[in-house]
Amino acid sequence: MQIDPRTGSHPGVRFDNHPAVQGELYQLSKPEARESLIQEVVERTAQDFKNADSRLLLEETLYQERQRLKRSKTFFLTSMYISARNKRDREFIQNTQAGLKQAVGEEEQKRWVKKYAEHFGKEICGSFEPKMYDFAIFMVPWFFSWLLNAASLKRFIPWGMVETLQSRLRVVGEVNHLQKLSKSGTILMVPTHLSNIDSFLIGYVIHLMNLPPFAYGAGLNLFSNPVLAFSMNRLGAYSVDRQKVSVLYKAALKNYSISILKRGIHSIFFPGGGRSRTGAVESHLKLGLLGTAVQAQIERLKENHPSPNIYVVPVVMSYHFVFEGSSLIEDYLEQSGKHRFVPNDSQEEFPFVNTLKFFWKLFSSRSEIWINVGKPLDVFGNFVDQEGRSLGPNGTVIDPRQWLMTEGELQTSAQRDREYTLILGNKISERFHAENIVLSSHLVAFTLFQTLRKQYPHLDLFRFLRISEAQRAVPLDKFYQEAEKAFAQVQEAAHQNRLILSDPLRCGDIKLWVEDGVRQLGLFHAHKVAKIQANVITSDDMNLLYFYRNRLSGYGFGRLERLENSKIDKIGEFFGEKDEQGFLV
Amino acid sequence: MNKAFWSNAKVAVLGGGSFGTVLSNVIAQNCAGVSLYVRAEDQARMMNSTRMNPNYVKDMVLDPKIRAVSEWEKLFEQSYELIVFAFPSHATRAQAKSIAPFLKGSEMILHATKGIEEKSLKRISVVLREELPVLRIGAISGPNLAGEMAKKEPAATVVASEFDEVIRAGEALMNGPGFRVYGSQDVIGVEWGGTLKNIFAIACGMLECLGYGWNTRSLLLSRALAEMVRFGVAMGAQAETFLGLSGMGDLIATCSSSQSRNFRVGYHLAKGESLAEVLAELGQVAEGVRTVKIVYEFARDRHVEMPITETVYRIIQGEITVNEAITYLMARTKVEDRWFD
Repeated sequence: MQIDPRTGSHPGVRFDNHPAVQGELYQLSKPEARESLIQEVVERTAQDFKNADSRLLLEETLYQERQRLKRSKTFFLTSMYISARNKRDREFIQNTQAGLKQAVGEEEQKRWVKKYAEHFGKEICGSFEPKMYDFAIFMVPWFFSWLLNAASLKRFIPWGMVETLQSRLRVVGEVNHLQKLSKSGTILMVPTHLSNIDSFLIGYVIHLMNLPPFAYGAGLNLFSNPVLAFSMNRLGAYSVDRQKVSVLYKAALKNYSISILKRGIHSIFFPGGGRSRTGAVESHLKLGLLGTAVQAQIERLKENHPSPNIYVVPVVMSYHFVFEGSSLIEDYLEQSGKHRFVPNDSQEEFPFVNTLKFFWKLFSSRSEIWINVGKPLDVFGNFVDQEGRSLGPNGTVIDPRQWLMTEGELQTSAQRDREYTLILGNKISERFHAENIVLSSHLVAFTLFQTLRKQYPHLDLFRFLRISEAQRAVPLDKFYQEAEKAFAQVQEAAHQNRLILSDPLRCGDIKLWVEDGVRQLGLFHAHKVAKIQANVITSDDMNLLYFYRNRLSGYGFGRLERLENSKIDKIGEFFGEKDEQGFLV
Repeated sequence: MNKAFWSNAKVAVLGGGSFGTVLSNVIAQNCAGVSLYVRAEDQARMMNSTRMNPNYVKDMVLDPKIRAVSEWEKLFEQSYELIVFAFPSHATRAQAKSIAPFLKGSEMILHATKGIEEKSLKRISVVLREELPVLRIGAISGPNLAGEMAKKEPAATVVASEFDEVIRAGEALMNGPGFRVYGSQDVIGVEWGGTLKNIFAIACGMLECLGYGWNTRSLLLSRALAEMVRFGVAMGAQAETFLGLSGMGDLIATCSSSQSRNFRVGYHLAKGESLAEVLAELGQVAEGVRTVKIVYEFARDRHVEMPITETVYRIIQGEITVNEAITYLMARTKVEDRWFD
């Protein structure tokens, strides 16, 4: 399904077969609702640490917080919001430390635990202002439309002002299914994460799909700009601070997520925990927040809620061009390579400027972004049908209540629920790969990288990434041969529903998709990621080539060649062939 | 663990072979009733009237709480808290398919099959997960020769599952005066231990035929353990698991019992008979013969070193003789005695 690029009186034409509804997030526009939400988080957190040594817990939390503040670097202006937060944190730490000296009794210490939980809860909690939301969804399309048409050459002809954001966003997949489920249950959307602009895009796509606004687990980097922080806070975003590592904070964050899901508020968070540094589709997910889905489901079942189900919807976004690509991959290489990695000098620009630049480049280039809404799952990772029933193997229908019964009772059971969440996480990662739309540029990067890699098998990855320009050139006819092979592999995988091919790849004409891929691949990086000169294809930036190539890692393509003679079919299927097997290298 | 819950629970054991029957007797002592599924109607009728299952287990009287059933519909007239699969590996998938529609989802599943699915190399618990609308699945494995268990000689087994609840259920239902349950979360290790040992039982049979004594057998068993660990770790198991009941324990039991089919295959092969002759004589396929081929090929492709498995495979293929194999193994250069190296 593709969004109809019609133009109307307003540039934000939406999927119009589904009337917009307000949704439960509107609850949070009332201060008393927010207050009760925070109180619930506090109570839950206190309950979690009922049997813990409160003093030890507080001391640990304080220590970790002090360490974090020491490390925390803030820059003027870009992080006014964060420095304000840090200032509040510092004050709170001082108060708590002073208070803890006086608090000798167990009761008093427990009160401090609650106070700390409240401090975290207030920080996490987002609010929602309908007016702000209406304003944003009204303005955003106009803004983009203006940017788009300004960036497009067509603006010079009078009927040329027809570019809309949708014409660059290809929203495909289970849109109708998602719309339906959003009425019969609570949606937890889990997208892949490559770029800071994901957050804006996904928010906008939710609006395009006529879904009510979602609560939004956003990393602190999205709050770095005062304007963004102001608006994000009022659009239902709650802040996820990955620098805060204390168990108390993590518990408060989880409890916040449980509390909003329990209230039937649709939510989003990025389960990979931050942007994918390697460029690969996420295969290791953060299970902490993910586990809140099953908890919320249990509570809604216990309350005998008429629509108790939580549905987990994986969403995969595919880009030809990731603005932060260079810094992401260098981050990864630096961490994994340590001394073997020699950094280039690259500076990350201010995120907001980045975002503007991204759209400018997107619009001026006719480059498309694919957003694939994956098949919805239940909290155990089973597929659900249109009516929201969980489907088991052999045509069975699963009653989630039965899976949550332990010794004859509907109850939480920590170990069981962790295991269910692990299974859900594995399933989401598997679906991420299966729903990944492979673009022509990814396959070009993959082919070029693999072809070169085969020529220098003795070099380790980090040396390989520094081969000289002369060494990087691959004769075109050889490249085409390898491209045929790579194409056969992805086509085979597409037949097995292990990935999805984008249109230029589906047509199958090798000349066409290679040309398209080379043109689109990392279009606006300072150096060309792939270029054709005379009779050779080469790359000016090996790190980025690696980054875009990784989009096709985790499928076993690189490894299959070694196992061609193997008689055992389907090797990867049960072997957890993910990164820890040394795949990316 | 809620003892009262499990003593009121109903259990279904699927498969009325020797182990299924013996296991039913163990479980019946701790629960409200056991339904034992057997495929043949006459067998079910006979078991219900004579309270014996003489084709598989001699001289053991069935517990009064056991009833034998031969139809799925009748079996699932009531619901169960635990279902135990005791089918041979090749039958598991088909049987699981046919009971899938009857399950509620709150059941726990255990299986007592020592083997893997051919071709796909899938462990039985993976097969069950693919076919049943249930996730809480576990495996029972250990040195449990049915004949000895029928006589109530002291024995123990391992219940392995990712879910603690399943292990607790296994403990609640099988622990008794003559039988102990150990829990493990390493399902991969436990299931592969039960599968791999069959290969080395063949090798042990060969040594028996050649008349070698305990030095040689201990050598074989220790190095066999090293191979099991290597393969298991490559599969994602934990090395320690193979030191336990389901690894070393089962290896010793199977390799010392001359009644084991795999052992007999090895014995006759060492006499110089061909595999076809041996199997014709045996009348049934020994699990180890199938396993060795798949395991050998897999290990070769993954560069997992398994010299004993390799030689057993080559002997079965008729490529080398047992004596050549021993010469080859004894002349290998690597001599560090690390149990996993």
